[in-house]
Amino acid sequence: MTAKWKLSEIIVLSVLAVVFAVVYLAFFQVGNVMAGIMGPIGYEWIFGIWFIVSIIAAYILRRPGAAFLSETIAGTVEVLIGNAVGPMLIVSAMIQGAGAEAVFAATRYKRWGLWVLMLAGMGSSVTSFIWGYFISGYGALDPGYVAMMFAIRLASGALLAGLLGKWISDGLYQTGVLNSYAIARDKKREFHAKAS
Amino acid sequence: MWLHTINPSVKLLTVLASVFVLALFLDPVLYLIFWVGLILMTFTLSQTSWKVWSLLTAPFVFMAVGYVWTAMLFPNESLMAQETLIFEWGWLRLTEESLLRSAGLGMRVITFSALSLLFVLTTKPTYFMLSLMQQLKLPTRLAYGIMAGYQFLPLIKEEFQIMQRAQQIRGVGRPRTIKERVIQWKSFIIPLLASAIRKAERTAIAMESKGFTGEPRTHWYRKISVGQRDFVFIGIIGALFLLSYIGSSFFN
Repeated sequence: MTAKWKLSEIIVLSVLAVVFAVVYLAFFQVGNVMAGIMGPIGYEWIFGIWFIVSIIAAYILRRPGAAFLSETIAGTVEVLIGNAVGPMLIVSAMIQGAGAEAVFAATRYKRWGLWVLMLAGMGSSVTSFIWGYFISGYGALDPGYVAMMFAIRLASGALLAGLLGKWISDGLYQTGVLNSYAIARDKKREFHAKAS
Repeated sequence: MWLHTINPSVKLLTVLASVFVLALFLDPVLYLIFWVGLILMTFTLSQTSWKVWSLLTAPFVFMAVGYVWTAMLFPNESLMAQETLIFEWGWLRLTEESLLRSAGLGMRVITFSALSLLFVLTTKPTYFMLSLMQQLKLPTRLAYGIMAGYQFLPLIKEEFQIMQRAQQIRGVGRPRTIKERVIQWKSFIIPLLASAIRKAERTAIAMESKGFTGEPRTHWYRKISVGQRDFVFIGIIGALFLLSYIGSSFFN
């Protein structure tokens, strides 16, 4: 998958994953408090934040596999840091990354508008919810309640992963550190196309 | 210290397989027996401090309580038609089976956390990555990339503290409202990411200039192997599962 990648792209991918692994762990504490008060639905409001690195990495590097790998690495780094959710995080991260990756693959890695990014966030919501249904046993809960959880997770994926992810990446682009990556190439091409 | 010497990949796959198998059941007794077994393993086969262990388990107990009361208040009504009602008050109905399911959901969270801790507290990060490369054939470019990124963790933390102090010196107060908190978060995340990306590029150049190409390897400076004790470990977990399965069938 990464055979064609430049080494700098791989390291940028893992550094993004490291930064967001820390963010993820911080939000895990928030989610835990909310879940203790509200039950499992407490997680749903902020679930989108856990997909954000897929969106950012794919949007910056624009390569097949970036969404899947970045999320997987973030999950692995969370385990390396010593989080108590442990090895299961790697599996859930892979499943979340695969959801976003599927949306990007459907556009053949050619479209990077806000809607695609929000759809990718929702893609992660769908796959992660199916996984959660199995592993957390949502079958024992009221179907209406589960449907509400799913709706909140979809919205959270679109906003906290898609919208916020685009916003952070565009902010980063403006600092100039991304000038040697695919995001800059496409943005400059767009800019010249408009100018001429 | 025995658990520390188990091959990390074997440990990882065993823990994951146990989670998959356990998720097929929703039986509090089975989970309870398995959980007690895991605790015995953790404390007899490794020198885990019980203080650290309980501190890390506490949030999951909290979470489990959330699961239990949610499952009691919002049960799946379609499952409850044929069951024995033990309590009814207004719209709240509890059956024997639904109570067991609620307890099962909560116990599942706690059992999974004990399984994770068995892995997390007895595995060194570096050995884990080396084992992923040597046993699970993770591409070396990716594995060393992750290890390089992981090394940045303390640097990123230090940078965050520097930025925080710089803001304090310039009179930026502590955030009080949620809005202020978001604004402050925004002022940190982009500079932190920008500097992390610059560091990543410098590291990539350094690695390449030292001749790192990332081709598959056959020789390792630190070799991580799979041995007899790894199979013993799988055997213990398997036996523990059988014991919990048989034990729980006495209660049903």
